[in-house]
Amino acid sequence: MATLNINGQTMDIGEIDPSTPLLWVLRDELGLVGTKYGCGIAQCGACTVHLNGAPVRSCQIPVGNLTDQQITTIEGLAAADGTLTPVQEAWIEIDVPQCGYCQAGQIMSATALLRNNPNPSDADIDAAMSGNICRCATYTRIRQAIHNAAEKMNGTAFYDAARTGETA
Amino acid sequence: MKFIKNDHLTPELPDFFQELAGKRGLGNDVDNDVKFGITDVSRRQFFKISGIAGGGLVLGLAMGSSPKAKAQSAANLSTISPYVQIQPNGRINLFSKNPECGQGIKTGLPLIIAEELDCAWEDVDVVQADIDATKYGAQFAGGSLSTPMNWMAMRQAGATARAMILAAAAQQLNIPLAELSTSDTMVMHATSGRSWGYGEFAELAATMPVPDPATLTLKTRDQFKLLGRRFTGVDNHDIVTGKPLFGADTRMDGMLYASYTKCPQIGGKAVSFNEDHIKSMPGVVDAFIIDQFGNPKMFNPGGGDIFSGVAVVASSTWAAIKAKRELEVEWDLTDAEVSSWSDLVARAYALQGQDGEPLMVNQFAGPGNPPNRVSADKGDATRVLANAATKLSSFYEYPYVSHAQLEPETCTAKVENGNVEIWAPAQIPQSGESGSAVLLGIPAEEAAERVVLHQTRIGGGFGRKLANDYVFEVVAIANRMQGTPIKLQWTREDDMSGDYFRPGGFHSYSAGLDASGNLIAWQDHFITSTGNDQAPMTSADINPNVFPMDVTDNVKLTQTMFHNAIPTGPMRAPSSNAFAFSFQSFMHELAVASGKSHVQFMLDTLGDPRLAIAENPQSMHTGRAASVISEVARISGYEQGSSEPGRAKGLSFYFCHSGYVAQVADVSVSANKEVKVHKVWAVADFGFIHNLSGAENQMEGGIIDGISQLFNAKITFENGVIQQQNFHQYPLLRMPQAPELEVAFLQPDEFSPTGGGEPSMPPVLAAVTNAIYNATGERIRKMPLYELGYKLV
Repeated sequence: MATLNINGQTMDIGEIDPSTPLLWVLRDELGLVGTKYGCGIAQCGACTVHLNGAPVRSCQIPVGNLTDQQITTIEGLAAADGTLTPVQEAWIEIDVPQCGYCQAGQIMSATALLRNNPNPSDADIDAAMSGNICRCATYTRIRQAIHNAAEKMNGTAFYDAARTGETA
Repeated sequence: MKFIKNDHLTPELPDFFQELAGKRGLGNDVDNDVKFGITDVSRRQFFKISGIAGGGLVLGLAMGSSPKAKAQSAANLSTISPYVQIQPNGRINLFSKNPECGQGIKTGLPLIIAEELDCAWEDVDVVQADIDATKYGAQFAGGSLSTPMNWMAMRQAGATARAMILAAAAQQLNIPLAELSTSDTMVMHATSGRSWGYGEFAELAATMPVPDPATLTLKTRDQFKLLGRRFTGVDNHDIVTGKPLFGADTRMDGMLYASYTKCPQIGGKAVSFNEDHIKSMPGVVDAFIIDQFGNPKMFNPGGGDIFSGVAVVASSTWAAIKAKRELEVEWDLTDAEVSSWSDLVARAYALQGQDGEPLMVNQFAGPGNPPNRVSADKGDATRVLANAATKLSSFYEYPYVSHAQLEPETCTAKVENGNVEIWAPAQIPQSGESGSAVLLGIPAEEAAERVVLHQTRIGGGFGRKLANDYVFEVVAIANRMQGTPIKLQWTREDDMSGDYFRPGGFHSYSAGLDASGNLIAWQDHFITSTGNDQAPMTSADINPNVFPMDVTDNVKLTQTMFHNAIPTGPMRAPSSNAFAFSFQSFMHELAVASGKSHVQFMLDTLGDPRLAIAENPQSMHTGRAASVISEVARISGYEQGSSEPGRAKGLSFYFCHSGYVAQVADVSVSANKEVKVHKVWAVADFGFIHNLSGAENQMEGGIIDGISQLFNAKITFENGVIQQQNFHQYPLLRMPQAPELEVAFLQPDEFSPTGGGEPSMPPVLAAVTNAIYNATGERIRKMPLYELGYKLV
């Protein structure tokens, strides 16, 4: 019986085909549908999750390789009491989403960026976010939201890494 | 019209135009909207019961009358109208009728209701309405029509509910109605200084008679407390926390997952497949061929049309996709497409400088009179051109383009006991219902009861989800799997090779200037595609109302149609999304030749403030057009130019979907043709803007969408097979390439809101290419630019 550590919880995924990409295990088996399918070939970033704190494309990671790894999805960012992270707050405050389908992936990439670089320049943002397509083209607002979130963080932790099981 | 099978829409057309005339343009845009194939029953119903004067009637008709209404009137909720409910705790449910695909309507329409209801936005919960024409009239996302078609109806819905609450309060409190007023979800009594929440009167209000709309007093613009400000989207909290919202997120007990595989050569029919192997694969529950229904090469949202293919039903999406990859299918190619883009290009360039067939267009004589086919020509362009002081000719090309909305087509359906239930991210869900009935042989008069469609949020529309092919596919699969909910998931490859594409086309232009540099004649030979050898494919047509043909005295418009039925459909700003590039690039060529400044040439061409077509009240107003052009030139410093080598600004303007947009792009071009778009300024006139953040979002997205398409978007086909499959072959613009944006709106008092989703996009195409010309002297007459060696950085 296989298990995964997702958002700080051990989750049973049953006797699953180990070649199944993490994306489809999250969506179909565990009902964590915030992580999206966009291309299946790591081109669009809609399926971005954190693997041990680093952003990865869940459409490319066979679930069989993930025992003892810490996985964080969009559902795991807000605190248990529902308090949003500064990134999530900034996204709402400046009305980033249009259709919203890519935004979970965008937020996961932005969150990983800010963990490593609390005050990113535009060039840093370009580099960290270039793997995420927004077809509605909300890029200028994403950029602004990342700057705003950095300001909110003011050097503090912005999501509870301990709760998600990640080592900060 | 030609794309709608149900011919009984035709008699409705004069009414349709009459009704729309009060809201937006009669020109190319309405023609496009008609093609969307809005369910005729709902259309007819809508125009009888809604519109400017009918908001109250909608309420009166619909209250409690539909069986579907029960689903949305749970216990303890006081239903004032199909749009307004009051919760036991006093919070207000406002129902958003139309599909949300990123255009912001789920926020925008309830905001309008809330304003006239006089409630605080913080007290509102927005609920996505189910599909029900008897309650909501036409429910669709297309043509930038949601705001203009619903502006008055939503205001009246809010004002009606407010009047019913006030009447209930007067009765319950035994206070004369005239002494009561409202503010921020409260009923106020000034004399006594007392106030009560709306919730206190909810039960009684729900039983009050619906007032005559003529008795309602709507707010004036200076009384608006909500409208005109910036509001964040009502689903944003759920989006940033990953809650289920989208079509793809639908999950049901006992649900199985399906993939569907169609012939790579479009229109081929499945004959047999390696059934034994597929059915033996882990997780596969069933696999079967589905026959073609109708003529799916033609865009027809309400016909139930589907291509033949092989369905795999499995215990997970991944199992269905894995089996799909191992399918070996024998296809009957008898009716498959054989056209090739390279062949069409060669044939089009051979026609350069020649005329085509005279373009015949519908001219509507008025209500009750059928359309006449008349020549699109005006004046005597041939003679005037021959005598013009300056004559220019140019040939322009643009390709097929895929919508590439980020949510690949997906839909969930269950068929049981002759009834169908659908969960769809669809832009015309009502046609999804009626087409599903056609597909399953459910009589039209039973469709409303037997086919139920639930709207989900749409992960990007751009016009792709106006077509309901993926809805009909899952209904056909679910029909084979009776009683089991089935979720169909297209792969990106299915999406990119199975689109109703933006059609490619060609323009052979000639135009003449007089000795003063004024535009005096315009000729366009438009080269396009037809599937039936009678009319162009969807969104592959042209009409004479495109600026500057609408303001030029001598126009000759001819057309050549190549037989080519690669499926096409509307994409954000249909036809305008390509015409704006070629028309506004050629206008800049003429401006340069005229010796005037670009702005002056544009303003002189527009002439005195007036309707471009006097008899058409919704044609382009030249004064509004001139205003956005002058304003964008002013805020961008367009006429000051740039002293930096290889850097320049370019300007463009376009009018479509009743919206006026002028844009200026500031661009650098390096020696090796690397192009940096530094900044784009946009000035738009969409009338009054009711949610400023939403309107800005549409404009920002439209500009970047346009730049992305301009540089990199091209779909090709060889012998009927689409050559691009995924984003590595069809790159979209990414964060590092996104320019700085500055957006401003002119909001003249006398104009009602129009929609911004579509008109925001077209002008930037030529703004960038005109800037590249100004920077380098190289004129660009072909999209996409990567084929000319340019690279967006």
